[in-house]
Amino acid sequence: MAAVTPSRSAEGSGTPPLDRGSRSEARRSAGGGDPFDLFQIPPAFELDLEELGRRHRELSRALHPDRYVGRPAAERREALGRAIEVNEAWRVLRDPARRAEVLLQRLGVPTGEESNPPARPEFLMEMMERRESLRALGRAGDLAGVEALSEEVRGQERELLRELGEGFRRALETPEAPVPATLSLRLGELRYLRRFFDEADAFLSD
Amino acid sequence: MTLFDIFDPKAPPKPIGIDLGTTHSIVASLRDGRPYALTTCDGTGLLPSVVYYGRGGNVVVGEVAKAHALREPESTIVSVKRFMGRGADDPQTRALGAYKFVEPRTEEEARTVRFDVGDRVVTPVEVSAEILRSLKQSAVDQLTNVGGAVITVPAYFDDAQRQATRDAGRLAGLEVLRLLNEPTAAALAYGLDKRRNGVFVVFDLGGGTFDVTILLLDDGVFQVKSTGGDSALGGDDIDRLIAERMLPVMGFGADESVSPEIVNLVLDAARQAKHALTDRTEVEVQLPARGGDQRVFRLSRAELDEWMQPLMERAGRVCRRALRDAGVGPGEVDGVILVGGSTRVPRVRSYVAELFGREALGDIDPERVVAYGAAIQAELLSKESDEVLLLDVLPLSLGIETMGGGVDKILPRNTTIPAGAKSTFTTYADNQTGFEIHVVQGERELAQDCRSLAKFSLRGIPPMPAGLARLEVEFHVDENNLLHVTARELTTGKVQSVEVKPSYGLSDDEIEDMLIDALEHGEEDLEARRLADARVEAERVLLATTKSLEVDADLLDADERRNVDAAMDALRRALGQGPEGASGAARKASVVQARLDALDDATHAWAGRRMDRAIQRALAGKGVGDVADEVSGAAGVDAHVAAHRRAKDQGARS
Ligand SMILES: Nc1ncnc2c1ncn2[C@@H]1O[C@H](COP(=O)(O)OP(=O)(O)O)[C@@H](O)[C@H]1O
Ligand SMILES: [Mg+2]
Repeated sequence: MAAVTPSRSAEGSGTPPLDRGSRSEARRSAGGGDPFDLFQIPPAFELDLEELGRRHRELSRALHPDRYVGRPAAERREALGRAIEVNEAWRVLRDPARRAEVLLQRLGVPTGEESNPPARPEFLMEMMERRESLRALGRAGDLAGVEALSEEVRGQERELLRELGEGFRRALETPEAPVPATLSLRLGELRYLRRFFDEADAFLSD
Repeated sequence: MTLFDIFDPKAPPKPIGIDLGTTHSIVASLRDGRPYALTTCDGTGLLPSVVYYGRGGNVVVGEVAKAHALREPESTIVSVKRFMGRGADDPQTRALGAYKFVEPRTEEEARTVRFDVGDRVVTPVEVSAEILRSLKQSAVDQLTNVGGAVITVPAYFDDAQRQATRDAGRLAGLEVLRLLNEPTAAALAYGLDKRRNGVFVVFDLGGGTFDVTILLLDDGVFQVKSTGGDSALGGDDIDRLIAERMLPVMGFGADESVSPEIVNLVLDAARQAKHALTDRTEVEVQLPARGGDQRVFRLSRAELDEWMQPLMERAGRVCRRALRDAGVGPGEVDGVILVGGSTRVPRVRSYVAELFGREALGDIDPERVVAYGAAIQAELLSKESDEVLLLDVLPLSLGIETMGGGVDKILPRNTTIPAGAKSTFTTYADNQTGFEIHVVQGERELAQDCRSLAKFSLRGIPPMPAGLARLEVEFHVDENNLLHVTARELTTGKVQSVEVKPSYGLSDDEIEDMLIDALEHGEEDLEARRLADARVEAERVLLATTKSLEVDADLLDADERRNVDAAMDALRRALGQGPEGASGAARKASVVQARLDALDDATHAWAGRRMDRAIQRALAGKGVGDVADEVSGAAGVDAHVAAHRRAKDQGARS
């Protein structure tokens, strides 16, 4: 029998991990529903994360397994399942890229790899150059340089988040209008920036 | 203990907290709401974590066992915690002690270390169980009726090490209520004591492990932001530094292999010198040298400080990463909690003060604070208290090996537990009929560099072109930070499912077999105990169900209500509480268990609805909409980005 290691759906070199979209879908179904609904908040890209944290705590107080230690098995199972859903939803909502994915799905826009619009060539060029400089700085052990470059990219991230915030606000206010393709495009760019930060963090924590 | 406690036959069971340490172990409980350490078999509060295996099955734990370490090092296991959950072939294993290891013959055997202690072979789980059994006995002697136990583990312990610890607890006959991270336990002891709020760092340097945890304390909520550590860094390393310099003085060459007896002797001398330097700035030690001479070894605190610098830098790196993961700057820390005997070393204290720019808190004994926290948690769990909430995290990322030996992270480190996530995979060859799944834990990019947790295969997939089959792998990390994996093939419509228990853990049957071996009237005793346990559980479930009916009966329809009532009646009869009275009582645990299962079935859907109601209540009064960030523009987005950076590592980095 040919038992082999599972391969993830193809991941072309140089492309961002867009196949994660399909993974998030699976996660969503694992989460038993929409994270906004679970936290009983209206869907929005710009969230008050402090309030979100308060809601997470209230939900945890009610559902955390610590509260059910001596309870019947049926209750323990149900509470554990819901506590997991709550934590997973919280994780999705705090992460701008995954939050954007959920919102796009709510708006009926597919977020899988195939459906994503191709990234702008100028953006790709710029990212490639930045990652090359990052690696050069990292290899040279120039941590201040890595920090400075990260700060620059963080500025770009802020701008992206602002655009996404505005775009989603408009799209959610006018559900009948077609969802602009720029939202998916910006989400793709946000993921590129994340990969940059991951790499920068790896240098900084060595 | 009050007299009332001793003589009340119905005294409620007292839960206990156990710090199962590398060097020392402690069992604690609460008296009048305050934690205290119970007296161990040595007559002190600290039990050396040392087990001596004598001839004829004689097993000794603690101070007495320690005395054997010098003369019979191979039969005396010290620092067994360092071997917990480690493979026999793990390169770290060999470096850890002067033991006689049994060579593994199969891959299965290679998953755990086995010590040849003279007339038998023991595993780290069994050795730890001896320590726990001794602590449990002390608790029974002093508390009469011992309840469930919370056992602490270093936050940085991986799944294998946690499984092994829990198995040891079960093997010792303890009801393990929870595995609790040591730093979280320490924070609990401090936080509850002083009602402190803010960002706290727990710095725990023990005998063999180093842990650092960043927590946010906020009115009874202990939220772990990040955790990090090194499961092979501790006071033993300081001892080794000193011992390495002692050996030449004793006349041994640098590369010379030294007998286990000498190793233990010199390590002991080194430890004494280290302890002396905690209170003094200089120490002189008499060492036996080759040929029977005595030599004098002189050491100053300044010298030791210098030798320790690389160890401190290792700890510092771990701290900086934990701070970055938590999104906290060193200046934003409101307090540093010191845990572990090695934080008594002056250089450790000064290093911590430099790192965080403040003196650490030290009002609770650093060697007992973890056990105190465990006792508090045990009490809270037993009371189902809602005044305190511990939100802990997964210490190390969990993932699956992908084609080419990479790792697909399914749950990143520092995810709040309990946690769950699914990932889907597909076939890469036409007509592939099986998947081999390799579950790993760790931060490295290659699967071979991570800790291997489990391998299993899913077979019988109907032939189809590459990329069509869809395999869904689901990870669940429970409240004990233990992993459960399930895999299904989705395309066929038929769902195949396998429940995976990581292969280093002991199965319930294995634990049972070991318990039978340990008991004199094995099988009979065990059945009697099982029946007693099932009866206790049945009483508990009946009581809980009755209470639930008082508040949530409206969530059952008439049919369901009848089923619940019937299942409860059947269970009562099995307990001898039915119309037939005691004559109806079941004599076999399996009968009680079957009725418990039936009641479980009858209440399952209802439990779900009750949880939904609990969610509604939890969010009641929190109007819909106050989360939406009304403020647009730069400030709002900036705050958002800042918060995102803070939360970043808790979220997935997709
Ligand atoms: N006074 C002291 N000065 C220096 N080190 C000490 C002192 N007391 C204990 N230690 C060291 O602390 C370590 C044990 O700490 P402990 O918290 O009991 O560890 P663990 O939790 O790993 O068992 C040992 O390495 C021991 O040598
Ligand atoms: Mg300890």
